[in-house]
Amino acid sequence: MSKKITFILIFVFFTISFVQASPVQRFPKPEFEYGHQQPPTIAPDARSQFMEYLDVFVLLVSLSLISWFILKKRSRWGALGMSVFSIVYFGFIKEGCVCSVGSVQNIALALFNPGYKIPITVIAFFVIPLLFTLFFGRTFCAGICPLGAIQDIIAFRPLKLKSWLQTVLGIIPYLYLGFALLYAATATDFIICRYDPFIGIYRFDAKFSMFVLGATFLLVGVFVARPYCRFFCPYGVLLNLVSRISWKHMTITPTTCIQCKLCENSCPFGAINEPTLDKKKEDRQIAVRRFIILSFILPLLILAGGWVGSQFHENLASVHPRVQLAEELMTFNESSELEPSLELTTYKSLGKSEEDLYVEAASIIREFHVGAWILGGFIGLVFGLSLAGLSINKHRIDYEPDRGSCLSCARCMDYCPMPEEEKPHRLLFAGFRKPVRFK
Amino acid sequence: MKQKIIIVSSVLLLLAALFFIGRDFFYEKNKNKENQYEYDLSNLKETDSSQICYREVSRILPESDNLYAIATDNKDRIYIAGNEKILVYESNGNLLETIELKEDASAIKISPDAKIYLAMNDHVEVLDSMGVLQDSWDSPNDKAIFTSIDASETDVFVADAGNKIVYHYNTQGELMNEIGRKDSLKGIPGFIIPSPFFDLAIGRDDELWVVNSGRHAFEAYDFTGSLISSWERTSMSIEGFSGCCNPTHMAILSNGSFVTSEKGLERVKIHLPSGDYDCLVAGPESFDEGTKGIDLAVDSKDRIILLDPYNGNVRIYEKL
Repeated sequence: MSKKITFILIFVFFTISFVQASPVQRFPKPEFEYGHQQPPTIAPDARSQFMEYLDVFVLLVSLSLISWFILKKRSRWGALGMSVFSIVYFGFIKEGCVCSVGSVQNIALALFNPGYKIPITVIAFFVIPLLFTLFFGRTFCAGICPLGAIQDIIAFRPLKLKSWLQTVLGIIPYLYLGFALLYAATATDFIICRYDPFIGIYRFDAKFSMFVLGATFLLVGVFVARPYCRFFCPYGVLLNLVSRISWKHMTITPTTCIQCKLCENSCPFGAINEPTLDKKKEDRQIAVRRFIILSFILPLLILAGGWVGSQFHENLASVHPRVQLAEELMTFNESSELEPSLELTTYKSLGKSEEDLYVEAASIIREFHVGAWILGGFIGLVFGLSLAGLSINKHRIDYEPDRGSCLSCARCMDYCPMPEEEKPHRLLFAGFRKPVRFK
Repeated sequence: MKQKIIIVSSVLLLLAALFFIGRDFFYEKNKNKENQYEYDLSNLKETDSSQICYREVSRILPESDNLYAIATDNKDRIYIAGNEKILVYESNGNLLETIELKEDASAIKISPDAKIYLAMNDHVEVLDSMGVLQDSWDSPNDKAIFTSIDASETDVFVADAGNKIVYHYNTQGELMNEIGRKDSLKGIPGFIIPSPFFDLAIGRDDELWVVNSGRHAFEAYDFTGSLISSWERTSMSIEGFSGCCNPTHMAILSNGSFVTSEKGLERVKIHLPSGDYDCLVAGPESFDEGTKGIDLAVDSKDRIILLDPYNGNVRIYEKL
């Protein structure tokens, strides 16, 4: 016992020493007495390396805990508690950065720009939730992602959306991901971070329009549960795909589904798939014919999407800062009445030639030409696969969470009357349950 | 029905959010080209008229391309250092005489015994009341930049911004002492002078007041070089001084209050002997933006005479 206490004391001592020795901001933002308003920034103040590693450690522990709560303990309260913790720690304390959602862009930037040295902690924030999803489903979404958690706790009156509407809106995250990757890979911008609706709330600092955007999502989130997660989140696309092949996944029932239908309307995200027992088995010939048609349509959609995308490559490139600067220089040279912007003045003061800028801009536009082909092709693929998904009959015998779209929030578990095998006493109370259904 | 309305409204709001993101990114993001990080001083340059306690009563337009320094004598005559000359005016602004110099004087002081002391960048020249050169003293140190001078009947003090020190001479030009060198044992913090503005003046109790502009402070020394008093006021508001180094110049009124001038936020104001802000003489609107080196002098009637080197004029202010 005394050994344990000694070990703990030594650990605490070294931890405190390390924290104290870690670098601090030598030059914090100047604080003016009044008058000057610091404009909001996309990235918060830098954290010390120790704190970054601590964040990764907290992420690991939090994911382990919530996975245990959901898969082992089947506890909605546990997931809710973790949501509150996530809002406080990953949201308000860490000011929402680095978040796994935005880390997609860092990865894309690092892959296409060898000059960008991606921090190991950012890689960890990207990979760890994916790994947990691969093993346990989307437990990260359940209550660790601060963007999801803040929406989860305000879903007071969730309404069920029609499945066609969900499918149509569900395409948006794929498009968002495609655009985010294109702009990150071309070092244009991190649009996920720029338009993160909840960052302003977590930092108490954003443009008014971003506060309005955040408030809009929260307002909608009262009636349409987690609108950002379901219909915008680009990282959710990756988690969705990985979760489909997850090793384990939460189940509605702890034992066997008795088709009681109590859970049927329990999911505010519409992520419960109903049994298809009563459906007539499809004719094999029709299935083969459809497969052949889809095999033709899919490449056609990809090609068509790529071609359409490539037609807009100049428009897509027009937001790149270098392309904008080149355009501004061109306009400036044509009209002597214009005032040069700060960027243009700075560029000229560097002593670089105008030709260099035009050559650089042309090179970026060529990159966008390739990128627009890929983006368009990707969008075509998404449409094609969505079409295929709608036309393929899936055979199910139980009420099951949809492995891709299920956010593992554990709400549905409480609706299942079946007792856990190792806890027979719950059977006694099963009959007295009075679940509240979502309308 | 109610549910349908809520769902439709929610979906429309989501689509509006999507539209906003797309529009902002492609059309609005870089529309605002001005430097949003630029520190805007415009609201600090607004003057509250109730703060003003002096009014301009007359203006002198000296015939000189550049104006460097100003002083008054015990007959309230006004001495203005211009290009290689000293212009002497009566208190009503009439030109009395012009004293030719071999070079420009950066500071000027008329002692009680009517000697004219001139700080000439790296040496001191002493003229008699007729403007005849009597003596010249070299700087005891290299890299001297003399910016201010004051004299009593027995002592002369010169501020050297280059060496960040004050020299104490006797009237024969012998160096008696160096004042203000950093000495933690004596509690002397040392002068921080980031720009070539370093002013001093002898107070009414024969104490030497020196502006430690990098600290936004006033320090009082006795003639032996001991620090006897100090005050500092750092503030973006009118109650204090801001920027790297302010005030640039000062003068002392008969009641011991300080008249100060600043750069950056160009203004002239009065601080009480305690250092507390009293009132405003001339606000930023009275000067061109970027005006630096507003030298000050006070006459026996506590009129404030300021030199505006950018507009090339001298203004006389009287208390309201």
